[in-house]
Formats: sequence, C-alpha cells, structure tokens
Amino acid sequence: MRKGFVYVLMVFLLVFAASSMVVAAGEKLTVWVGGHVVEEEDTWKEIISDFTKQTGIEVEYQLIGFEVYYDKLVAAYSAGQGPDVCFADLGGWVPTFAAQGWLEPLDDRLATSDATEQIWPNLWPTVTYEGKRYGLPWYTDCRLLLYNTKMFTDAGLDPQKPPVTWDDLLATAQKLTDESKKIYGYGVTGAKSETATLAYMIYLYGAGGEFLTEDYSKAAFNTPEGLEALKFYTDLFVQYKVSPPGTLSYTEDDYRTMMAQNKVAMAIGGPWSFPLIEMANPEIKGNYAVAIHPYKATPASVLGGWASVISKTSTQKDAAWKFVDFITSYDVWMKWVEENGGPMPTRQDVCKDAPTFQADPKWQVIFETFPYAKVRPPIPQYPQISDQIQTMIQNVLSGQDTAENAIQKAEEEVNKLLAK
Amino acid sequence: MSTATKDKLILNKKNSLRYDLTKNAFAYRAIIPYVVFILVLVVYPVVQNIIISFQANGTWSLANYLDVLFDPLFHLITINTIIWTVSCVVLDLLVGLGLALLLNQDIKGGAVFRTIILVIPWATPDIVAAVAWKWMYNDMYGVLNDILMKLGIIDEYLPWLAVPNLARLAVIIANVWKGFAVSAMFYLAALQTVPQELYEAAAMDGANSWQRFTKVTIPVIRPYIITTVMLTIIWTINYFPLIFTMTNGGPANATDTFVTYAYRLAFRFLDFSHSTAVSNLNFIIVFTVAIIYTLSLVGKEE
Repeated sequence: MRKGFVYVLMVFLLVFAASSMVVAAGEKLTVWVGGHVVEEEDTWKEIISDFTKQTGIEVEYQLIGFEVYYDKLVAAYSAGQGPDVCFADLGGWVPTFAAQGWLEPLDDRLATSDATEQIWPNLWPTVTYEGKRYGLPWYTDCRLLLYNTKMFTDAGLDPQKPPVTWDDLLATAQKLTDESKKIYGYGVTGAKSETATLAYMIYLYGAGGEFLTEDYSKAAFNTPEGLEALKFYTDLFVQYKVSPPGTLSYTEDDYRTMMAQNKVAMAIGGPWSFPLIEMANPEIKGNYAVAIHPYKATPASVLGGWASVISKTSTQKDAAWKFVDFITSYDVWMKWVEENGGPMPTRQDVCKDAPTFQADPKWQVIFETFPYAKVRPPIPQYPQISDQIQTMIQNVLSGQDTAENAIQKAEEEVNKLLAK
Repeated sequence: MSTATKDKLILNKKNSLRYDLTKNAFAYRAIIPYVVFILVLVVYPVVQNIIISFQANGTWSLANYLDVLFDPLFHLITINTIIWTVSCVVLDLLVGLGLALLLNQDIKGGAVFRTIILVIPWATPDIVAAVAWKWMYNDMYGVLNDILMKLGIIDEYLPWLAVPNLARLAVIIANVWKGFAVSAMFYLAALQTVPQELYEAAAMDGANSWQRFTKVTIPVIRPYIITTVMLTIIWTINYFPLIFTMTNGGPANATDTFVTYAYRLAFRFLDFSHSTAVSNLNFIIVFTVAIIYTLSLVGKEE
C-alpha cells in the first residue's frame, strides 16, 4: 500500500511542478501577437529587448499565425488564461471580447498617453464597447483597388488612369478580360470569408448606402442603394463574367496571387498586399499600383487592423500598459517603418514623417483614402452578421437566389441577430 | 460445512468489492492515470457540453435544441451531412473492397503495391491533403481540369469548389481518396482469413469466380465489413479538417456538415449554447451507430 501512496504522491508532485511552472512563467509579462506583423520576427525581438532594457520588465512573447490565432485566443480567454497583452483584430474582436468580460477598460490609461491624440480618429469606434475604450489601435489599413499596371498596358489601357466609377470599372474589366487565355479583369471575392463581406461593404458605401442604423440596432442595407451594390457586385461575375469561373471559391488573397501571375488585373487589396504580391512573384515589383476603389456616389473604403488589448484577469496590468504604450510610441513606430516599410501605423505623425512613406506614391494614395474608410460595426454580433452577408453574396453568385430575395432574407436574419 | 457452501463463501468473498480492491490493487493503481485522463479530457467536457446545451437565459430549457431543430439552415446541413456520410461510406466500401481483392492476389512485388497504394493517402496529414486537393480542383490551373480536358471529358475548366453540387462531389472524392486506404487495409486483412480450401471446394462444385465471391468471400468477411462500415460512418460524420480547409462549408453552405457548423457557432460566433446543442445532436447519432456496432460485436462473440 505504501508504494501506492508514493506513486500517487509522485504523480501529484509532477502535476504541481508543471502547474507551478506556469505560475512562474506568469510573472513575466505574456504577450501574444497575431496578424501579418508576426512575420517580422527579428524586429519584434529587438523591440521587446529594448523594452526590457528600459523598464526591467521581462516579456514572454509568442507570434502566432492568423489561421490559429483567433481559436487560440478564444480558448485561452474562456479558460481565464488569456495573455496579459494581446493583439485583437479591429474587425469586431474587441467589442466581442469586451462583451464576454475578458478585457480591461483602458480609458484612464489612454488619457495619459501621447499616442491617444495621434491615432486616426476613425479608428476609435473599433475598440469601443458600451462607451468604454478597451484597446489602443496599433496598426491599420484600408481596402483599395489593387491593380496590375503591366496588364493595363498590354490591354492598351493607361495604367496612370485607373477606373474611378463603377461604369469605368466594368468597361475596364471587360477590356482586360480574355476568357480564351484565362485572363480576367476583376476578382470578385466570392468565397465564404470575411473578405466577401468587406467587398460588399465597399460597394454599399460607395453607392451611398449604410450597413446598419447608427445605433447598430437594425440592418440598413436593404435599400435601393444596397440592392444596387449587391446587383452590380454579383453581376460582375454572373452577367459580365469579368471574374474567374471559380469566383465562389476565391478570396482576396487568391486574386492577389493570380495578379502576381498576370491572370487577374484588378482586385481589392491594401498595404498588406505589397510584400505578399512580391513574394508570390518577384517580377511583379514596379508593375502594380493602388487607387481608391471605384465607386458610384462617394469614395469608400473599409478599415481593418489590430489593437493591443489587456486581459481583465491579468495580474500585472501596469506592466502590460507600459508595454502597450511603448510599442505605440513615436520612436518605436518610426523604427518599425524604417525596418519593414509597413504596415500602416495608427499614428498620424508617423504616417506623415516616415521617409519610406513620403517616397512611395502608393502610400500617399492610402493616406488619401483612409479618411473615407469606415469601421465594421463594433458589436458582438458582428461575426454572425458577416456570416449572413457572406451567405447572401454566395446565394446570388451561385444563382440559387435573386438579389432581391437574398437581401431581404439577409435583412431579416440580421435584424433577428440584432434583436437578441 | 460442506465443500459446496465453502466454495460459495469463497465465491461471495471473491465478488466483494473489498476483496477485489485488495487483490487487484496493483492493477487498479496501474490504470489510475488513464482513468484520470479520461475523466478530465472526456467525461468532464461531455458533461459540461450537455449542461451548457440545456441552458438558456439563465435557466434550464430546451430552447437551444428547438432553435437548432427549426432552423432551415440546420435542415440543409442535415441533408449535407447525410449525403456526405452515405456517399463517402459507400464509396469507401466499394473502392476499399475492390482494391483489397486486387491486392490479395499473389503477384510479384505485391508488398510494394500495398505500401504505396494503402499507406500514402492514409499517412498524408489532413491539411496537406486538403490543400493539395484544393489546388488540383483549381479552375484556372488545376491539374484535374487539365487531365479531364485532355481526355476530352470536359470542354472547359470546371470551377469544382465554386458550384454547390460540384463542391459536394469534390469534397466527397477527396475524402474517399483519403479514407479508402484504411477500409482497404481492414478488408485485406479480412480476406487473408478466408481459408483457401473453401475456394477449392467451391471451384470443384463448379462455382464461377463471381459465385465464389458472393457465396464464399462475402459470408466469411461479413463481420469485418460491418465493423469497418460502422467505424467509417463514425469517422466520416466527425471528419472536420478536409471540408474546413477546402470549402469552409461553402459555397452557399453546400458542404456544411454538423461539425463545421458546430465549429463555426462556437469559435466564430462564440455562441456556445447552440454549438453544444448541434454537437450533442451529432453525438446522439454517432452514439447510436456506436451502440449498434458494439451490439453486433457482442452478438458475434455469443
């Protein structure tokens, strides 16, 4: 019997040792970084060691690929084991997490930071939930028209004059499309993904429509403008066939790769696309450009990006805030841009001062577009609403439903979600 | 005391829990870690899952189940799951058994064929297989379209993953490729248990090869077929990575199954109560299949 106790004791010791190791690790500040910036491993290492040198706070950080990042965060937070600091996507994550009680409100701390007044003002709604701010936006982006200038030249079009209106867009896309060579003018995002919702939003806002009512209590897209946007967007594929046959399986990322191979001439993209398109085909360098996405009534864009947030259960909120404030400081951002060329900082002063940006006309287009960029509804129901929009788009693209019916159904479903 | 009563006493003693615990103490200690693991990793989540699914608005209720059962999307997903499971299982059976019959023949280098045909699809990681198939199905440079076109079967490239019914077919084909190997391995093992004498006897009675197959092979390997089909049903219903990677349930929910839907509800929408309801409904179905499977095994032993 005694042997048995020894055995059980050993098992317990083992388990305790393992869990106390977790506790010991918890004394360091844990930081999770997700999004495109995780590829800049060396810069993170440098920035974090600078932080430790300046403040004496030890940081244990993880760079996590986007595919698994959200699931990992949700799992950690629901177990009460969230990291002290992490990056949250500006596409509705912050209010979603805040509604679950996972995040620490930051208003008092934000008041003390010099970053606060430099942040692009249209970013704040993305981190606000029920009147409180839960995050400090770190980098951002807005969606634009990304196009292949070589394909424009080859088709006899002037690459300096990208399409401005929907009519231009259609005419240009038709000129560029050559089905026999499998070359298409414009990539309609049709796969079941968040980027399909974003594309619809750009058309919706560009037609002068609204997505939800101002207080986010009801759907506002089932209007003549909203229907027109849906029809025009889906007709690019259904009627005019300027988008590849596999449209329903493609996202922005797929079109970007095809653009690098001179197969698709125009698609929605953004500043994050630059390194990726060059990675897909180095020869594309200098053969692509960006412009404000073509519109009907008013220039429009949708913004995205990431904010740093602090966990409600963190035991070292002061250290966590110091870290958040540090990475969002002017100096760190200037250094980041100098080393990596992007992404777009949330600080207006860095956008203005960084030499990399001043030298590149693409960035000037981005800064010009950014004030038009709208946020996605910062409400916890957003992921489900987005799912309904994706279903609406797919049903019309696949011919299973008419635009009128699909938008009607989507409106009903979205209103149901918002009534909850 | 007669010997009979003595024996009975000993028997009673043997049946008592205390005796059992002392006598088999070592064995029980040895299984403690596994019991703990199962309690923590299986029993606890299952119980938690059931509790969450019956709670709505802070009280016990059936609301989650009713919401799910009356949702038209759930009906579509049920149909999808049935199409997906039935087609995959039937094709796994036909392809697996056919291949096993071929591989069961005595040919030179048989072992090499077996390894290549059976192990490669099965050993390919799920995500790798899914991404590879996704590329093969691509409508602009997919190799599958290229081959079919050169064979003259199709006139233009098909957007495999972009049309609802084609996408259903596409994920089923990919899953059969991934899954037939396991079935074939089981059937091959089964075929090797069929005594040669039976074939010889049947041949002597004038049975042709088809009759030998239906009258000798099938009856002998029948229990193996039942077992394998049951297992394939369970695996297929619960198989998530392939669909998730290839279509993410699209286009227009045509390839959404119980598991991809439950995943989306829980991890995309943080709607744990409806997600647990869906997964429990799925659990009931799988559990029923598992019960039938176990009963058929017990029946065989008797």
